[in-house]
Amino acid sequence: MKLLYCIYKEFKILIRDKAALAVMFLMPMALVFIVTIIQDSTFKSVNETSVPLLFVDHDKDSVSIKLEKALIQTNFFKVEKKEISEEETKNLVAEGQFLIGIIVPGKTSVQLREKAKTRISRLFPQEDSSSKHSDQDALQLKIFYDPITKESFKVSVSGAIGRIVSAIEMQSMIVALGEELKDISPEGKTGTIENKPLVETVQEYAGKNETGIVPNSVQHNVPAWTMFAMFFICIPLAGNIIKEREDGSAFRLLTMPGSYLNVLLGKIVLYLVVNLVQFVLMLLVGIYILPSMGLPKLDTGHNYITLFAIALSSGLAATGYGLLIGTLSNSQDQASLLGAVSVVILAALGGVWVPTFVMPELMRNISSISPLNWGLEAFYGVFLRGAGFGVIGIQAVKLIIFFTACVGISFYYQTYKRMR
Amino acid sequence: MGASMVEIKNVSRKYKNAVRPAVDNLSFAIPKQSIFGLLGPNGAGKTTLISMLCGLFKADSGEIVINEKSISSNLKETKQIIGVVPQEIALYSKLTAYENLMFLGQMYGIETNELKKRISENLKILGLKENADQQIQTFSGGMKRRVNLIAGILHHPKLLILDEPTVGVDIQSKTAIIERLKRLNAEHSTTIFYTSHHLHEAEDFCSHIAIIDEGKLIAQGKTTELIKENNCSTIEEVYLKITGHRFRD
Repeated sequence: MKLLYCIYKEFKILIRDKAALAVMFLMPMALVFIVTIIQDSTFKSVNETSVPLLFVDHDKDSVSIKLEKALIQTNFFKVEKKEISEEETKNLVAEGQFLIGIIVPGKTSVQLREKAKTRISRLFPQEDSSSKHSDQDALQLKIFYDPITKESFKVSVSGAIGRIVSAIEMQSMIVALGEELKDISPEGKTGTIENKPLVETVQEYAGKNETGIVPNSVQHNVPAWTMFAMFFICIPLAGNIIKEREDGSAFRLLTMPGSYLNVLLGKIVLYLVVNLVQFVLMLLVGIYILPSMGLPKLDTGHNYITLFAIALSSGLAATGYGLLIGTLSNSQDQASLLGAVSVVILAALGGVWVPTFVMPELMRNISSISPLNWGLEAFYGVFLRGAGFGVIGIQAVKLIIFFTACVGISFYYQTYKRMR
Repeated sequence: MGASMVEIKNVSRKYKNAVRPAVDNLSFAIPKQSIFGLLGPNGAGKTTLISMLCGLFKADSGEIVINEKSISSNLKETKQIIGVVPQEIALYSKLTAYENLMFLGQMYGIETNELKKRISENLKILGLKENADQQIQTFSGGMKRRVNLIAGILHHPKLLILDEPTVGVDIQSKTAIIERLKRLNAEHSTTIFYTSHHLHEAEDFCSHIAIIDEGKLIAQGKTTELIKENNCSTIEEVYLKITGHRFRD
């Protein structure tokens, strides 16, 4: 019962503290808006269908038509067609208007057909053959890359274009072979060779529920800033503890019958509820508000119980940390400074600002010491991989151990060090 | 009034890195139902002694007995019978006077209806009934001190410990606080242990006085006897005669 009174008292104090409410609810929502919008284009350039490609068609025949269609079908390029010179193409790419420029020279299709016919006819040599001339010189498609393009990106793009060109080449060879066989067939009739691939690669994401969600700016930023907001409550929570100590209330409470643990638990429970409300609000922002601004919608997956368990364990870790900062600090100024600086460092290490998957290996290893990283990885697990509690449970256990350690140290320090 | 409410027996306490003990082999008794004033210059050891009486600090040596039970082995029971009014305004500034008192009364385990009755009665006596629903941060210094006092007496303690309860308040608030304490002592037989720098107030208010300096007891007795024994006319004279004019801070 005393615990309920403590929670109620904390609730009353909190709802009358407008500054603390703003820090706890408005600040994280503002941050998730701003950072998601800023980072959206960066995430898109890596993940989505917006690689701008300039397609210059001087051929206007089967090769260029098939190539353009295939490029569009990859859903990887945003193809824009122009009829301009090689020099103009090069300039537009150099200016950064397009990441890639492809030029299909005139008569490419005609030459390809001739070359295919020549090669096939060599399989069936005839004395009066007209296909004795050489086909040594390969046809050339010119590809220009923006100078800022990374080598890895260039390799994957040239691989994709190479596969499309090979398929067109193969198709021309098959057509030429069909015509040659028709000429030598006694009845002048042949069957058709299907142009379908004989070997297909089947690709899927290794998530448990096979949803195959690709990470985007919303899916990174909503859980990342939720973790940040949760841990940032260490500042009002620590301030609350120090104020209670400075104004003598803690002294009075310690002279009363009953354990001081009730008072600490009252704070933990209330700020844990605040953390869960923050979590729900941030999810709602990701689901309803960010999409209305042209950003991707947050896909939360379907493991809601696991999601709640992660939010709960993250909230416990955050309140435990606030309790520790409040107990160890000697003044409100010290707590504000220590709380803000430590949370910013833990957030930077934990991958809140820059995701850990783009960090160098050393930093990735260091980031695993941050409790914000444990929570963020667990949220990624649920959002992106559809992981259940069995998979992300280790992160939840780490967060709960962190909470227990913080509360234990705080209680020990409060009871045995400061007062004795 | 023969039995003692508090017995302090050879109690010493030294802080880490301190040159001398804050409380040095202190022994005296506080009679039941008395109003006992503890006087002394700054740094004499008054607050340390109060913290030990409340069970917040352990004595390095010696024993403190409250209501015939050693505090070290009966801390929970002792806390139930003592009330504390700290020198600071130990209240939540964003809560109203009523909310503060409800919370603190509930922490003492007082039944809700009885608690409401006691709060209402005390607010009325100390002239705060009209301000019950105002946040403490809007109160004057005197009003805060009066609420601070109510918070310490809601559970009808047998021993009330007050650390400078009238510091920084106007004469009206001071009179109201002293009158309330006298009434508590008379009606509920509450033993009052009080520290103050207001020596005239202590002389009028206290039946017994002890003076400590540098952690040691240097005088103790009934207020009138102490004045007579030292051939003085007031407690202030006694105090200056015993402690001297040297600054202590």
